[in-house]
Amino acid sequence: MEFVPISAEHARRAYPPSAPYEVTQAKVAEFEAALGLDPSEMVPRQAPPTFGVVITHAAWSLMFSDPELDVSLSRTIHGDQRFTYQRPLHVGDVVTATLEIQNVKVRGSTERINVAVAVRDQVDAPVLTVEATLFHTREGVE
Amino acid sequence: MTIIDAGVLPALGHALPPLAVRLTRETLVRYAGAGGDFNPIHYSDHAAASLGLPGVIAHGMLTMGTALRVVTGWAGPGAVVLSYSARFTRPVIVPDDGIGSLLEVTGVISDVEGSVLTVSVEVFCSGEKVLGAGRVVVDLGRPG
Repeated sequence: MEFVPISAEHARRAYPPSAPYEVTQAKVAEFEAALGLDPSEMVPRQAPPTFGVVITHAAWSLMFSDPELDVSLSRTIHGDQRFTYQRPLHVGDVVTATLEIQNVKVRGSTERINVAVAVRDQVDAPVLTVEATLFHTREGVE
Repeated sequence: MTIIDAGVLPALGHALPPLAVRLTRETLVRYAGAGGDFNPIHYSDHAAASLGLPGVIAHGMLTMGTALRVVTGWAGPGAVVLSYSARFTRPVIVPDDGIGSLLEVTGVISDVEGSVLTVSVEVFCSGEKVLGAGRVVVDLGRPG
């Protein structure tokens, strides 16, 4: 069977929401420590602004495991990233992440993929949007 | 303590105190687990080489998350970040030599609208820009 890899035809392809994710104090503290954030500079029980990536990875994995696209995380480099917050994310929030491929441009063996992930809370209200540009390389390097 | 609390209005063009942060392989491993990004190019020289990279590189989101400290550390816990965007202009190579790589983060106030500031953020490593077009929109809140 021959793969038909990701192409411009996959623009607007959307995935179902990820499984509900509960933001815990322990995970927030682990994330803050990994970024060297000083807890005294942070709002108690509030996730730091880039914590949204923890939630969006579940949505990204749906795209990377989609057999129709044949894209691999290990062949992907991050080009840019944008977070837009409707409200801060708090400990105790239960959120889902929904990914949509916005645009695909193929140039030779490299695909430029624009994705948007919408993070919504337990009452389906928007919390933040995470947009990214990913560069996926299909050929090996000699 | 925020600048507004101190009674000094933040001015357009004002440079925030710069930040220098060292990344080592340990930082990368810690961030991979905490952030849930297990792309092997962030821990395996072999995987990095197969993409044509000279070695293991830092997660873009580690650089971006670290860079935000130049704003949040200055603005204090009362500030609310409304949006944050950036472009990863060059990979940050992190050698396994016990020394790692030094990130140098700058932030300049590029817009002021009431209590809402826009800060332009850039990150340099070994003199090269690794994060550009950084834009943090932050609401410092109102004094009193």
